[in-house]
Amino acid sequence: MRWRAATSNGSPVVEQPTAASPEPRNDDVSDRNDDHRPIEVTAPGSAGPDAVMVAVLVDFAHHLRRAGLTVGSGEVITYCQAMAALDPTNLVDLYWAGRSIVVTRREQIPIYDRVFRAFFLGETDDTAAPVRAQVQTLATTATVLQIPAVDPGPANPEEHQARLGLMASTVDILRDKSFAACTPDELAVLRRIMATMRLAPPRRRTRRRRPAARGRTPDPRRTVREMMRRHGDLPALRWRTRRYRPRRLVLILDISGSMADYSRALLQFAHSATRASDRVEVFCFGTRLTRVTPALRRRNVDDALARAAKAVVDWEGGTRIGDCLTAFVRDWGRRGVGRGAIVVIGSDGLDRGDPDVLASAVERLSRLCHRIVWVNPHAQPVGRSPGRGTGHGYRATTLGMMVVEPYVDLLVAGRDLHGLEELAARLAELA
Amino acid sequence: MGEFPSVADLARALREGGYLADRGLATTLYVGLTLDRPILIEGEVGVGKTEVAKTLASVLGRRLIRLQCYEGIDANQALYEWDYARQMLYIRALSQRELDADDYSASSVVEKLFGPRFLLERPLLEAVRAGRQAVLLIDEIDRADDEFEAFLLEVLSDFQITVPEVGTIRADAPPLVILTSNRTRELHDALKRRCLYHWVDYPDPDREVAIVLTRAPGVSEALTRKVVAAVNRLRALDLAKPPGVAETIDWVRTLEVLGETDLDTRTVSDTLGAVIKERDDLEVARRNLERIASG
Repeated sequence: MRWRAATSNGSPVVEQPTAASPEPRNDDVSDRNDDHRPIEVTAPGSAGPDAVMVAVLVDFAHHLRRAGLTVGSGEVITYCQAMAALDPTNLVDLYWAGRSIVVTRREQIPIYDRVFRAFFLGETDDTAAPVRAQVQTLATTATVLQIPAVDPGPANPEEHQARLGLMASTVDILRDKSFAACTPDELAVLRRIMATMRLAPPRRRTRRRRPAARGRTPDPRRTVREMMRRHGDLPALRWRTRRYRPRRLVLILDISGSMADYSRALLQFAHSATRASDRVEVFCFGTRLTRVTPALRRRNVDDALARAAKAVVDWEGGTRIGDCLTAFVRDWGRRGVGRGAIVVIGSDGLDRGDPDVLASAVERLSRLCHRIVWVNPHAQPVGRSPGRGTGHGYRATTLGMMVVEPYVDLLVAGRDLHGLEELAARLAELA
Repeated sequence: MGEFPSVADLARALREGGYLADRGLATTLYVGLTLDRPILIEGEVGVGKTEVAKTLASVLGRRLIRLQCYEGIDANQALYEWDYARQMLYIRALSQRELDADDYSASSVVEKLFGPRFLLERPLLEAVRAGRQAVLLIDEIDRADDEFEAFLLEVLSDFQITVPEVGTIRADAPPLVILTSNRTRELHDALKRRCLYHWVDYPDPDREVAIVLTRAPGVSEALTRKVVAAVNRLRALDLAKPPGVAETIDWVRTLEVLGETDLDTRTVSDTLGAVIKERDDLEVARRNLERIASG
């Protein structure tokens, strides 16, 4: 009798392809007694976990750890106990018990499956090669970021620099200097300034209540205590009031070619934001959407940015804003990340996708979240716009921006430090 | 384990109770029961996560205690609350000497006021008291705030609750705990580590037909097969809310009520509301009517 692992129909399960059961199904639990596979277990059906079994499972745990899963000795002990209660020679039991103990989120299931197949079924690991290749490409993209790309956007940098009065590098001048025109050293200075920027996300009322001097809801707990203290007299009711919590802040940053010079600055801004509040989520997109929040949760800016760069695979590619925002709404927004949040989108609106897709994505997003803020470094500061938040002070110049404008509550330039400071200040006002 | 000698027995019992558990879920439940570990079940909406706990309770002959989580749920709503209205009346009555209490000393009054008579049990306390007699279902844990999750972790680690005025209440044997989550947010690792984890996927078509026939006895199998095939085609579309098993059952029932025996573009279009409950999704589905109906 031979075992193989099936990866068909998306859910990899160990199933039994023998003639004994014509329809091998993973739920076929009635005939489990004749599906033994002799692994190195000396006493099948013995009461306690014997030493060989423990050794095998510990070794398996090592392999799982090497593949990146967190397996503590607590988990190994639980696994051994579970196998003592189950049939240790049954591969299906071995698979499911281990999976329920070791795996803590859906994304880990394929990793577990791969290690399990390699370890217990001795299958050569055909997925290993692509994984290694992927790690390599990730490493190269990381190095791309570490060399700050300051190739000036405009065709004639000299003129551009002259216009901006580049010769001085004091903070005050840097403050109004376009990120695109900054040298690596200047960017480093800006980064330090940005790290000191204080961000206060707007707050929202929650359903939780706390005791308060005055409020709208009586606080029976404190009232009764007071009554007892006064032998039954009730001098005045005690009150409770709603608690306030910071709103969630979601930053969705465009890292495509046209935004390259600014997206790094925005990412630094995002890092400051994650340091200010734990209710911040950061995503990057070019041709597809990547969540970089975990990568940014580092104290050290450079370390955080390097990690974020590693997570993102499509630096400076094209832009598909519509598709990426749709993906955000579908995979994250509806799940709760976007609900009631302030969503800050950093992009120039140069979309290579279908404008209709973009429009419907932003419309859905606007229904889901509390406010949409658009940071566009290429925005032209002229006149009043007819958008939802009147008086942006900026004119939509690209088709993408025209399409999304009706749904955007606040449009800021954010082309320089000054712009980002303005953004930080106005975020707090968005109630 | 006492009740079921093997995974197969547990699966059979669940099947008799009207729930078709696959091998993975049955094994996880079996291990959870044997090792007294909470079980965290995640999966798409409508794949029968809550149903597991209900069926398990009835199969085990235990009481189902349900704690529905929501944003802002706090210890008072989950653990216990004092019956303040009654306490106030009692204090009032005492102060007017209307009660025939034999002892008006302060300590005795306080003891009465904060004794079992005025204690309102909420699900967690109830479950700790019931111990082995209960299945505790903590539904949609992802809706609660993370503070509540930390608090829950504490209760789940030692199954004892301290009410300062009454004392510590400890479960002689922990109840079976089942947590469900729709993944609207990521749960803390500490809580997950405490639990056995199982991801419930959409069942394969054959199994889904079997589930529908179990949950809605009397419907025609031929129609059910067609509906399940159509639902699977719907799931393949890019929908915000792909229909779950619950929707499949609803759809079959709707068609039965209408006396339809076949699925064509017209019947699909007429009854689409039973499976798709989002306007954007409806539009997508209507554009693909032909494909859904015929495949």
